[in-house]
Amino acid sequence: MLKWTWKSVFSQRGTLIGSVLGIACTFILVIFFDAVWRGESEQVVSYPAHMKPDVWVMQSGVGNMHMAMSFVWDWKADKIAKLPGVKQVTPILYLNSIVTSEQNQIFAFIVGLLPDNKRAGPWKLSAGRHIENPLETVIPDVLAKISNLNIADKIHIADKLFTIVGMSSGTYSSANPVLFVPFSDLEDLLASTGTYSYLLVDADEGTRPEVLVQRIRDEVDKVNVLTHEEFINNDYSMAIQMGVEIIVIMTIICSVLAALIVGFTSYSLVIRRRRELAIIKALGVRSINILTSVILQAIIVTSIGFGIAVFFALFILPYTTLLQPQLTLSLSLSSLTHIGMIAFIVAVLGALLPAWHVSRMEAASAYHV
Amino acid sequence: MSIIKASNLTKSFGHDHTAIKAVDNVSISIQAAEIILIMGPSGSGKTTLLSLLGGLLTPSQGNIEIDGVNITALKETALPAIRALKIGFIFQSFNLLDALSVEDNILFPARLRPGGINKARSRASKLIEQLGLQKRSKALPQSLSGGEKQRVAIARALINEPKVILADEPTGNLDSQTGQDVMMLLHDIAHEQGCSVVVVTHDPRIEDIADRILWLEDGKLSDRKHDQHKWCRDPVCGMRIDEWTAEYTLQYSGIKYSFCSQKCLDKFNDHPGQYLSNP
Ligand SMILES: Nc1ncnc2c1ncn2[C@@H]1O[C@H](COP(=O)(O)OP(=O)(O)O)[C@@H](O)[C@H]1O
Ligand SMILES: [Mg+2]
Repeated sequence: MLKWTWKSVFSQRGTLIGSVLGIACTFILVIFFDAVWRGESEQVVSYPAHMKPDVWVMQSGVGNMHMAMSFVWDWKADKIAKLPGVKQVTPILYLNSIVTSEQNQIFAFIVGLLPDNKRAGPWKLSAGRHIENPLETVIPDVLAKISNLNIADKIHIADKLFTIVGMSSGTYSSANPVLFVPFSDLEDLLASTGTYSYLLVDADEGTRPEVLVQRIRDEVDKVNVLTHEEFINNDYSMAIQMGVEIIVIMTIICSVLAALIVGFTSYSLVIRRRRELAIIKALGVRSINILTSVILQAIIVTSIGFGIAVFFALFILPYTTLLQPQLTLSLSLSSLTHIGMIAFIVAVLGALLPAWHVSRMEAASAYHV
Repeated sequence: MSIIKASNLTKSFGHDHTAIKAVDNVSISIQAAEIILIMGPSGSGKTTLLSLLGGLLTPSQGNIEIDGVNITALKETALPAIRALKIGFIFQSFNLLDALSVEDNILFPARLRPGGINKARSRASKLIEQLGLQKRSKALPQSLSGGEKQRVAIARALINEPKVILADEPTGNLDSQTGQDVMMLLHDIAHEQGCSVVVVTHDPRIEDIADRILWLEDGKLSDRKHDQHKWCRDPVCGMRIDEWTAEYTLQYSGIKYSFCSQKCLDKFNDHPGQYLSNP
């Protein structure tokens, strides 16, 4: 019976190839959208995730960066810097704003950096240099590519004109590309003085972030103090809500589609083998064994399809970012296993209905086929 | 000793006023090593009766004993084992498993038998030799001729040393010579192994090998008198055909012709003139 199960899958080569390719294609789509979704969700918190201070300090009532506005008096930063267990305090000024180039308008994060603030600036430049003078900016290299911007081009942030001096990598997501400008320029834009937006606090070695959070809360009024983990979680859930719903919907639609195709494929595999299944039944194979065999066949076919999809995902999908630089793909083993498990459940379910038919089929029909 | 004992078998299909009694109060007893032919017009219930005897259908009424076991009293789940071990099935359309080689087709029922496949292997190679299939044992069914396919099916039916072989028109898809050969093989092997053979057929030439001929009409069984033939000749191969039971018939220019097989009928259809001018 096992031999038949195995061999009959491979004997109808045309059918097998059709089924396998159909399944492979839908899984490629699912894996693709899942990867886009994961990539995008990692990317929306890319800036705070890379800064990774032990503790974030911001205006009380504010808990994240995305779509937020925060002001903290500068003397509070000095006060925190003097607390025991604090290694350094890095202030940044921050604004959500529209960036206007000749080609388009983009919503972006603008981060204002004090002179010689390397701690909170871009972590990798792919072209140009860091900002050194007033009205200079570093923009994400992906943004430059899709907006067709080059070094020395000018862009508007609110009503100020900035010159692009550098391009940074890893700072783009469709929901929030991050641009860096001099602190004083952003101060002008915000019409503020003597304030910061966020304080990135690094702890001394041996001081636990939680302890430091409590210490700052005790000593400084009217600020919100969070560990890095808390801050990132807040920011992540906020950003996901705002930016990537569409991708989630696409992933769900594709998953449902894949489920239908896998289910339908295993259904039609059984229907096509009905004659042989009747013979096998007449010869005295028990229904439970026929059922197992049919489900096994569905699993074999789905595995092959899924295998092809995984191969494709690992070796071909990464190249799509060459064509579409604004896409950030993240393939993870755990999400592949996740999709794989769902595939098998669906394959089994898809085979169950026809298998049930077959197990109820009159063995006598072998005399008529 | 009777291997199969069926009493008052009735099988109806459908419900109430649309119900058809395909088999109507049939009692039959088959002895060890007996060869029985069941004949009768199309739709008379032959296939249904065979299916009942083989445990492929459950009767609406009546009892069937196979080798001393009352199978009508068994649970549905116990029937496959009876089929696998006690009965060999042969079908008109051969019903080989396309994906398996000749050898694996023959061995297929052996895997359903406790005690395993190893003993069966030597039996299989003996059967393969006996049926002249040595050169084809690794071939796939699609590359076999009709006669070869039916020989494989016979070997498959015999592999578990069944008490009974049930064959539904085993020669129906074969030309008359091949059909004759296949029946002779079936006859010889059955006698050697001492198993009973029940054959549904339209082929009157098989009558010679039968120990007993049963006549089924409208689901009812009767002994058949030998003068109940209406003989005519197959215009293609010249074989003697009983017009009453002929499966393959054709109206041509107002005259009814009967054929021994689909093959002869097809030949006739291709060039009717050739066979009519030369009777
Ligand atoms: N599964 C079935 N459902 C309904 N009617 C059936 C079924 N099998 C057979 N019959 C009917 O029972 C009668 C006998 O059929 P069958 O045993 O196949 O005849 P035969 O083999 O002698 O040609 C026919 O009228 C046929 O239509
Ligand atoms: Mg029939």
